[in-house]
Amino acid sequence: MCPFPDEVLERVLSLIDSHKDRSSVSLVCKDWYNAERWSRRHVFIGNCYSVSPEIVAARFPRIRSVTLKGKPRFSDFNLVPEDWGADVHPWLSVFATAYPFLEELRLKRMAISDESLEFLATNFQGFKSLSLLSCDGFSTDGLKAIATHCKNLTEFDIQENGIDDLGGHWLSCFPETLTSLQVLNFASLNSEVSFEALEKLISRSKSLRVLKVNRNISLDQLQKLLLHAPQLIELGTGTFMQELVSDPIKDLKNTFGNCKKLVTLSGLWDATPLYLPVIYPACVNLTFLNLSYATLRSGELANLLSHCKNLRRLWLLDTVGDKGLEAVGSSCPLLEELRVFPADPFDQEIFLGVTESGFVSVSHGCPKLRYVLYFCRQMTNAAVATIARNCPDFTHFRLCIMNPGQPDYLTKQPMDEAFGSIVKTCTKLQRLAVSGLLTDRTFEYIGKYSKNLETLSIAFAGSSDLGMEYVMGGCPKLRKLEIRDCPFGNAALLSGLTKYESMRSLWMSACNVTMNGCEVLAKERPRLNVEVMKDEDGDGSQAHKVYVYRTVAGPRRDAPPFVITL
Amino acid sequence: MDVTLGLLSNSPAGDDGGGGVPSGGSTTAKSILTVSKEDNMNMVMSVEVTSSYPVDENLDDLELGLGLSIGGGVGGSGGGLKSKAVVAGPCWSQYARILTAKDFPSLVSKPNSSSSSSSVNIPNSSTSGTKRTAADSISPPNGTSVVGWPPVSKAHRIPSLANHTKSQTEELVSIPEQNKIKNKTNGIKDYCSERNGISFKKYRSVKVNMDGAPIGRKVDLNAHTSYETLARTLEEMFWGRRSTTEAMGSSRLLDGTSEFVLTYEDKDGDCMLVGDVPWQMFLTSVNRLRIMKNSESSELSRNQHETQN
Repeated sequence: MCPFPDEVLERVLSLIDSHKDRSSVSLVCKDWYNAERWSRRHVFIGNCYSVSPEIVAARFPRIRSVTLKGKPRFSDFNLVPEDWGADVHPWLSVFATAYPFLEELRLKRMAISDESLEFLATNFQGFKSLSLLSCDGFSTDGLKAIATHCKNLTEFDIQENGIDDLGGHWLSCFPETLTSLQVLNFASLNSEVSFEALEKLISRSKSLRVLKVNRNISLDQLQKLLLHAPQLIELGTGTFMQELVSDPIKDLKNTFGNCKKLVTLSGLWDATPLYLPVIYPACVNLTFLNLSYATLRSGELANLLSHCKNLRRLWLLDTVGDKGLEAVGSSCPLLEELRVFPADPFDQEIFLGVTESGFVSVSHGCPKLRYVLYFCRQMTNAAVATIARNCPDFTHFRLCIMNPGQPDYLTKQPMDEAFGSIVKTCTKLQRLAVSGLLTDRTFEYIGKYSKNLETLSIAFAGSSDLGMEYVMGGCPKLRKLEIRDCPFGNAALLSGLTKYESMRSLWMSACNVTMNGCEVLAKERPRLNVEVMKDEDGDGSQAHKVYVYRTVAGPRRDAPPFVITL
Repeated sequence: MDVTLGLLSNSPAGDDGGGGVPSGGSTTAKSILTVSKEDNMNMVMSVEVTSSYPVDENLDDLELGLGLSIGGGVGGSGGGLKSKAVVAGPCWSQYARILTAKDFPSLVSKPNSSSSSSSVNIPNSSTSGTKRTAADSISPPNGTSVVGWPPVSKAHRIPSLANHTKSQTEELVSIPEQNKIKNKTNGIKDYCSERNGISFKKYRSVKVNMDGAPIGRKVDLNAHTSYETLARTLEEMFWGRRSTTEAMGSSRLLDGTSEFVLTYEDKDGDCMLVGDVPWQMFLTSVNRLRIMKNSESSELSRNQHETQN
């Protein structure tokens, strides 16, 4: 029995934000369950098919903000066919009645049409905040609807979507009366917008904190925008180069110097040594610098980083080379996150990119590293062991040796010991992506040592079912497992029988699983959706792509013909 | 030469065309060999297996094919040959992929006796009779033959290095036309990075090599509307930006004042001087560009003159 009146309990619980904590709270007793459900304002749904919109609406009557994730992550790499699903519209229909005061919608890997965007814009009067990340199915026409109808818009964040860019007119649809904008991100939209409209919008948006423009915005234009918005906290520039120099450099430098609150900088397309120095006055305050669109070489990077002592997060292209990474190690002692992307992932002629030595240099200079995403073409077990010793606090370790199944290039041995050293040393590891030539040994290590691992990505690895069995037998906190092109068959799949309900999802593609194995799994675990994606050709007994996830909503009602739920 | 073999199914050209083989034309191994022999660039041809499968002599439904990659050591020697379709950055996926179980229906039902893992797509030394990729080959890895690999998402596939020429065309072209050009270019970029392989043909990026420069570049032809802008872009790429006064002049590559000449290799493999044919015709026939030393080019034009007569 609860000693507090409901109102007090609700008031107390309303201060809890973390959805994991709220889930724990809801399990205490019936009173707490009810108090929690009435006080929840934001719901996070990690897999849109794990629950139905009706169930959500029934349980949580007072939601103001929804985060929804749809397709499996491998859809980012074209492994999921179009029209697979994750349509947001069924959710919007239910929300229109259940949550007419919905203020925020954050979608990731969902399919959303222009009609849905228009529906959203016209059915939710108080709608404020839209964030679309890796979504597809819409065009700039849908964005026009949002800009036109959402009178209280504070956030307009469009990132990396599969969008039909029909022109930049959407920006001109923001009414003159809109002054509440705090976040505007259209960096990934390619069409040119009306600069006049943009400038007016920025100048009247006094609360603007985040502005990320697209590549079409020139340096001159950026200069003008920054004069209107010196209060920015995050800035994504447009192109950082121009042909005719009307001496904006000094002006730009001053302007950047005036942006005292700037902590995040991105964009910087085409940045050259001529213009890059204009950002130096702002560099000392930067904590996140995203250079993954700037093809910098080591020298330019070294000069830049010497001004960036306070960096915590750095994203780079591998054009900087190992020498550039040495500069990272020597200039950024507080660095916690490093991502190095390949400039030419599909063409090996031009650049070797970065190697193991660059990574080792960073690890020497940046002991606080916890998040690394590293694309390279060669690696050694010894280097990774050194890195693990230097940076024992890794929580996210994603190493991509770009040639599938490549061994230690010096010893020709499998890369088992590399990942072994990571999981043994880095006890806080939550996310791991492995690559290179790997035998079952790697997975033996992972199963045995990674007690905190939640997300694991495996590709072109393993020798037998044992590999996956090791993982399923260990890793108590595993939530997401994605596997492609590995020799794991039915025995491996079924070894996780008792585990899948405690996980969000499992993806297996191009492995050795058959329909029979999937059917057994489906039969043994009715609360899982076991979906097999049919391939156009190939015999029907192989299960080419398998997606397994726990759900309280039963089998999908909107599955396309090529998705079979067992 | 270090040659290892890749295995392909004999399904016809199309989305199923096996690993490492472009279906920009035919997909037979022979045609690829022919292309490489005609290439007179100084390179070591090395072939890698795109996936490892047990080589079973009884599999007569398999046809051997070759995937090509640069050979030798660091950085790629000179230009080097790359199969045409594989060149096309983000849109390679429909042309090449690692072989999987469905390519070998006969293999799938015969599991390897040593373990329960069957003989499919395991780059792994424990499977018998396989050719290892990087272990055997000394050439840099060829990771271009697999769908969705390396796992670089749309956001981080950077556009061609030459797309910055947008800002150059701004000064030359009036505003309405600028928008048209930009949207066209951007639309194409959109398609290329966001739609799965649909607009491979639209993404016209060709390689450029300069005599004496060890590292080649790539230029996006769709970003240009004339020889002038193309030549100026190339000049900037290889020589850096000129001073403002010079920048307004015509390209030295085209007007003959430079010690280099701009040539290209057309679809027939012939070396041609850039600027002779109308721009549109050039676009359809160009395969790659070469900035040649003047001394060599005079010989070339003599040869061309002779063959034409």
